[in-house]
Amino acid sequence: MLKEDCASELKVHLAKSLPLPSSVNRPRIDLIVFVINLHSKYSLQNTEESLRHVDASFFLGKVCFLATGAGRESHCSIHRHTVVKLAHTYQSPLLYCDLEVEAFRATMAQRLVRMLQVCAGHVPGVSALNLLSLLRSSEGPSLEDM
Amino acid sequence: MSSQKRGKNVQAQNRTSQGSNSFQTTLSAWKVKQDPSNSKSISKHGEDNPVGDYEHADDQAEDALQMAVGYFEKGPIKTSRNKDKTLEKHLKTVENVAWKNGLASEEIDILLNVALSGKFGNAVNTRILKCMIPATVISEDSVVKAVSWLCVGKCSGSTKVLFYRWLVAMFDFIDHKEQINLLYGFFFALLQEDALCPYVCHLLYLLTKKENVKPFRVRKLLDLQAKMGMQPHLQALLSLYKFFAPALISVSLPVRKKIYFKNSENLWKTALLAMKQRNQGPSPEPLKLMLGTANVRPLKRKWNSLSVIPVLNSSSCTKECGKKEMSLSDCLSRSRSFPLEQLQSFPQLLQNIHCLELPSQMGSVLNSSLLLHYINCVRDEPVLLRFYYWLSQTLQEECIWYKVNNYEHGREFTNFLDTIIRAECFLQEGFYSCEAFLYKSLPLWDGLCCRSQFLQLVSWIPFSSFSEVKPLLFDRLAQLFFTSTIYFKCSVLQSLKELLQNWLLWLSMDIHMKPVTNSPLETTLGGSMNSVSKLIHYVGCLSTTAMRLESNSTFLLHFILDFYEKVCDIYINYNLPLVVLFPPGIFYSALLSLDASILNQLCFIMHRYHKNLTAAKKNELVQKTKSEFNFSSKTYQEFNHYLTSMVGCLWTSKPFEKGIYIDPKILENTGVAEYKKSLNVVHHPSFLNYAVSFLLQESPEERTVNVSSIRGKKWSWYLDYLFSQGLQGLKLFIRSSVHHSSVTRAEGINYNNQY
Repeated sequence: MLKEDCASELKVHLAKSLPLPSSVNRPRIDLIVFVINLHSKYSLQNTEESLRHVDASFFLGKVCFLATGAGRESHCSIHRHTVVKLAHTYQSPLLYCDLEVEAFRATMAQRLVRMLQVCAGHVPGVSALNLLSLLRSSEGPSLEDM
Repeated sequence: MSSQKRGKNVQAQNRTSQGSNSFQTTLSAWKVKQDPSNSKSISKHGEDNPVGDYEHADDQAEDALQMAVGYFEKGPIKTSRNKDKTLEKHLKTVENVAWKNGLASEEIDILLNVALSGKFGNAVNTRILKCMIPATVISEDSVVKAVSWLCVGKCSGSTKVLFYRWLVAMFDFIDHKEQINLLYGFFFALLQEDALCPYVCHLLYLLTKKENVKPFRVRKLLDLQAKMGMQPHLQALLSLYKFFAPALISVSLPVRKKIYFKNSENLWKTALLAMKQRNQGPSPEPLKLMLGTANVRPLKRKWNSLSVIPVLNSSSCTKECGKKEMSLSDCLSRSRSFPLEQLQSFPQLLQNIHCLELPSQMGSVLNSSLLLHYINCVRDEPVLLRFYYWLSQTLQEECIWYKVNNYEHGREFTNFLDTIIRAECFLQEGFYSCEAFLYKSLPLWDGLCCRSQFLQLVSWIPFSSFSEVKPLLFDRLAQLFFTSTIYFKCSVLQSLKELLQNWLLWLSMDIHMKPVTNSPLETTLGGSMNSVSKLIHYVGCLSTTAMRLESNSTFLLHFILDFYEKVCDIYINYNLPLVVLFPPGIFYSALLSLDASILNQLCFIMHRYHKNLTAAKKNELVQKTKSEFNFSSKTYQEFNHYLTSMVGCLWTSKPFEKGIYIDPKILENTGVAEYKKSLNVVHHPSFLNYAVSFLLQESPEERTVNVSSIRGKKWSWYLDYLFSQGLQGLKLFIRSSVHHSSVTRAEGINYNNQY
């Protein structure tokens, strides 16, 4: 993401779990992305625990979930439905990306930077909440029967 | 006895250790040890068995492989203490060679027999079967022999299941199938066994020819179905039977279900892929859809066809292909069928259309336009079923964002998608399998790889109710749309425009067919119009939001207006009772844009809307009956509103008074003193350069230009100048909507019932 061109300064803070240590002075957080690895159950557990530490105001468009590893169904130990339900419960958008492939990573980075721009208020006329209502999809029918 | 055995062992070992040049003897001298007491040995191949693939004798791996194979032939040595270790070693050798290069057909022959004769335990048999990957072909005889081993009953149930799965997966690699076809009855009898039933059904599905369909078999299948219920694999076989002999089956089979068999070749998938890649020549240039068959029928052992789409090969016996002429009696007799390789031209297709036998590899029709014609006309469910089944399987397998390891196959997959799209374009309709594939793989799509192909597939989605398609397709597409670059947005808008076009074409054709036949779309006209208008409204929402996100970019606006150019003419061009206006967000952005071509396009669209609405009004009056498609007065009101705003801005220099109303006080706050004229044809920012060049044209030596000097007579000259510069839309709009009189007013549409 840091390679992307951006009008203002972009900072990324990586963390394995929340809460972040409160002693450090850090700039305002505009977007939280929870990365869930569908191949490991521990990842989902970790995310669920971290979610509890997030302030409610973030869920108005500043949180999004990123599920990786959905391409190889045989390796998935978490069913996709679980993650979909999780995103639905927290009213936040869910994105899929196989982070192992370079090209997919690059496009996802572009996408996230654009979301970040909206969440940080750099796009006039569109707020984070607005974007949220655009990105959220209703719980659709199961695709298993296709 | 034991000495004899040991003797033989020593003999075999001697042969192997003789070195590379004597490999011939090892393989050719295989003997089957039934029983220690039984000293009969059956030697299969003669001494002159050509083991051609093993030219390079110095290969260590080859030696090891032969040792391993020899070990297996001999059977388990009960007395040896380190039996397990040697066994493991040899197994590993065989597996390595198999997964790397594939096994030669002779080795497969031997190993098949070993696995099915029950000499080793179940675990070993399973491992052997799992690694039986052919390098080139599998000989038919090996399969027949293997099947005969099954009759002896020495192997366990799970081994049998695995064998059948293997047979189905490797079906395409078996060189001849006549003898296997003779075993049809044997396979059919196996349907009784519950565990084997799905796989045997799949095998029969691949194997069945017209002459195999007999009444007693049909009865048997129906009995089975009555016992086990409507199983998808039984359905598949029944539909295939129905295709070959429709008279025998009176049961109605469900139409919708198109995917029958579970993918049982998972175990060998990666190896098969690797094999296909190895055998593929340099990647071929993209083919145009040729009139005749794509290649000359290749030699049986050459696998350098396109890796994904199988080569056209008629399923009839090779001996029949020699005949050039066909007599009428030949045509009438059932056993004769026209070999597909000779199908070169359209007249030929028409002559032989009744005795054309479709290839066993349905996928090969994708490359031949003649066969596409054929399957389109034949309208037989099973044919389409087989085709869709193959298509969905191949799409699933080849899709590169599922095969995360093999991302380099992007080129192949793109070519494959291109071929499918060409076929869809040719037939002017979408395939069900592509639709299903889209819905399934859209969540994982990153929006970049195979983008144009993917979006083209979107534009070929067959017509259906919008509310059904929305959660499957549009929600996810919207997610991608709103977070992507402007170019992606434009591409999506373009493909949605094409989608709309396709839907409109189908619907307009459907209306004309309505009085004659039942509508194939199974919807009423009202429902269809509803669906289309929902689509248009949805695109309107997408566009308005996109404009905000991209800060009113003119590039994006071009694409949006392109879409609406198509929408405005629905009534006249497609004869469908639908008029949908564009949302205000688009209208005002276009009206106030800084680009003259946008304004021009907007004028053109307004002109077309005017024409469509007047035509609709006229038809309504002519019909005099109240039909459900009379447009509400709201549409007309809205249009008049837009029209007055536009004319007010561009022509009468009275903006913001009648159409969109802005309080003069607010306008004062903007600080623009002379706002009244500032949006008319002369002063509009987008026309500024035209005004200046017009004035300079007249008097080129002028240093300063006064744009406000264009009035009165100059005004009409100025207009002519604009029209000559290619602003045709503006011309049409002004001619049709603006009344040239001393009191200029807009020609609104009178929507009251008195005309």
